[in-house]
Amino acid sequence: MANDVSAPLTTEFAGLRSEEMILNLGPQHPSTHGVLRLVLVLDGETVIQCTPIIGYLHRGMEKIFENRPYMAGPRYIDNADYLSPMLNETCYAGAVEQLMDIEPPRRAQYLRLIVGELERIASHLVAVGTYGLDLGASTPVLWCFRDREQILDMFEAVSGHRFTHNYMRVGGVLYDLPKGWIQTCEKFLDNFEKVSLPELHELLTGNEIFEARTQGVGYIDPQQALAYALTGPVARASGVNFDLRVNRPYGAYREIAVRTQIRQDGDCFGRYRVRMDEMAESVRLCRVALANLPGGSITTRSPIALRPPRGETYYAVESARGEESIYMISDGSEYPYRAKLRGPSFVNLQILPELLRGSKIGDVIAILGSIDIVLGDVDR
Amino acid sequence: MNPVLQNVIHFVITFVFSMLFLMGSASILVYLERKVQAYVQERYGPYHYGPQGILQAVIDPAKLLLKEDVRATQTDNIIFRMAPVIFFAPVITAFVVLPFSPYMTAGALATGIIYYVALSSIDVIGVFMAGWGSNNKYALIGGLRAGAQMISYELPLVLALVGAIMLTSVLAPGCQGANPDLSTCGVGSISFTQIVAAQMRPEAPWLWFVLLQPLGLLIYYICGLAETNRTPFDLPEAESELVAGYLTEYSGLRWAMFFLGEYGNMTIVSAVATAVFLGGWSLPGTAIGFWVGLLGSFWGQVVFNIIAVGAFITKMYVLLLVFLWIRATLPRLRADQLMRFAWLFLIPLTLFNILLTGVLLLLPLDLTPRLAISAVANWLLMFIVIFSFRRLSGLSSIGKIPGWARRTGKVVDATTAGTPPAKGAPELAGGPVRR
Repeated sequence: MANDVSAPLTTEFAGLRSEEMILNLGPQHPSTHGVLRLVLVLDGETVIQCTPIIGYLHRGMEKIFENRPYMAGPRYIDNADYLSPMLNETCYAGAVEQLMDIEPPRRAQYLRLIVGELERIASHLVAVGTYGLDLGASTPVLWCFRDREQILDMFEAVSGHRFTHNYMRVGGVLYDLPKGWIQTCEKFLDNFEKVSLPELHELLTGNEIFEARTQGVGYIDPQQALAYALTGPVARASGVNFDLRVNRPYGAYREIAVRTQIRQDGDCFGRYRVRMDEMAESVRLCRVALANLPGGSITTRSPIALRPPRGETYYAVESARGEESIYMISDGSEYPYRAKLRGPSFVNLQILPELLRGSKIGDVIAILGSIDIVLGDVDR
Repeated sequence: MNPVLQNVIHFVITFVFSMLFLMGSASILVYLERKVQAYVQERYGPYHYGPQGILQAVIDPAKLLLKEDVRATQTDNIIFRMAPVIFFAPVITAFVVLPFSPYMTAGALATGIIYYVALSSIDVIGVFMAGWGSNNKYALIGGLRAGAQMISYELPLVLALVGAIMLTSVLAPGCQGANPDLSTCGVGSISFTQIVAAQMRPEAPWLWFVLLQPLGLLIYYICGLAETNRTPFDLPEAESELVAGYLTEYSGLRWAMFFLGEYGNMTIVSAVATAVFLGGWSLPGTAIGFWVGLLGSFWGQVVFNIIAVGAFITKMYVLLLVFLWIRATLPRLRADQLMRFAWLFLIPLTLFNILLTGVLLLLPLDLTPRLAISAVANWLLMFIVIFSFRRLSGLSSIGKIPGWARRTGKVVDATTAGTPPAKGAPELAGGPVRR
């Protein structure tokens, strides 16, 4: 991949010969959001060419799935998109359930929705906070992590783990909500909606410098978004009306309607605003789900050694970054024959070289941050 | 006492005070910076050493001094080693002219402001040498950015001070009274002592220049932020883009010199703003005559000077806290926006301010109405600038996509582009199961 970068070109300007510079941004760099490496060809401050080089965090996740029983899958898929593990687990569990043709009880589906939406808030908080950090504002990230911390505490209470939750099971979820969890959650939602989110808006949304840095930067038009198969907030910020929770509802989303958040800006500012709006929408969804939380069991009875019948299926959920999906093939044994994971970050990252051409170094970070990739999801 | 000895003692006291104050202020600022940021960000900040972590101010520099001095092999040795010295030396030297009090001025030069401006522009050479000598691409870009930035913002910084200097031309002590001293009056003074004296005339000791030239202070402060590479102008060391900019290859003592030099620079920028716009050591009610009358000539002077130094430092630290506050609040500009902001907004604005102030001060009126008119005009101009900042500065329109560039503004329905769920698909979402 590195060899694709052509040899330094020379440019003539007013008779002065200037040579382009190749800058290796990453894999160890404060704001490549992990171990992404960008080989930039620079003419002064302007980017002429960008080659993303990935794979520094490759853990052979898909091969691991093939060597572990179905039951162990959720624990490994946690680490794929490590900022939204609950949503990854929902994806894996859903795929196996679809293969086995079982449906989890309604309560389990509602619980999946609640933790999923909380996870979406947590993930968007990291995205927005680190985006502020990328642009040089040091406070948003700490305010965001303050709120995210409360979500992680709630996850710890419900699943026993703060980060790699291992909460979803094929046919349901592992534990029911502990005592007092609903009150804690409602308190958090109230506080988040009334205090934290307005605070964040105040700090970033109307800020002249923030607007100057994000508006019109990294413009993706809708056709381009479709052509690159972008999904999630990145696509919705470009006016692509696509949200799996609405267009192919799964689980409890068949009962609870989601209002898709779309903007037509198509720039970094639009992507930031879509994330902010989605957080507010997630709060609403959590409230609705908590109010209508059905009783009953949280998991179907299923054997410990799962043996789905032979067949193959595709199951997709709307993760915080877009369409997270698994193509799973079962050969009737205890292990998946193949589990292909589609990471939304990986797909969304493809458009980066095209967006970066002709932008300034400062914009490289702004655009990269606005796409909000997680390298665990890119490299898997 | 022997006047020569007196001068020597005066020099030693003031010089030692300036040096100690520079180093002390830099390390206290490091502590304050962390504490203020922690307060804004709802954290504790330094907490372990001393009450409220106050000893962190000592431990931080001590750690830096004790660290191993690492130098990459490919650096340009001489330039690399000289850069921190060239950066740090002007900071110490500029401290000499700061008027802490009538007595505590190490060198009351008649050319104070020119001296300060000249020294503060030497810094950029040190930064540029660091960027070049490090032989590191990030450092090089950081150094180039710093060069462009510091040279650009030097201009509005000086021009913003001109408004205040023009005021001294009508307010300097020599211009008052029945027979003004025509040799200095009408020219104005660039000596810090004279500027402070013009702000504490006996008849109006509260008339600080900030009341007459608020726009000057605002622009000076913004340029001061850029001069010292502080947020939102911290592009040369933008950690999210350039790792550490021109400091990337530095560590230990050399890094400490840049680090403390930067905080020293902040102190100087605030001190100059205090002297020129906030009345220096003057505080309503502090008059040397009162203390001399109360405690006698020697002790009266001592007490007065202590109070004056206290007043000066207090005002200075208020300005410094705004530095820290801004650091915790604002994101950073992009390189081209930074240059555009200086050349297309700040420099025309300061030039216009100078023109306006000059014309109004030449009106054939008494001193008081003239001052009042120029003050009102300046305040109005400042409010116009603040409230139409978006439009005037051109910042918010820089990145905007013009309407014609948006090919489509419509919402695209992507469901038609994807594969629809097949008929007879199971209740569960996603695609069908193929057996």
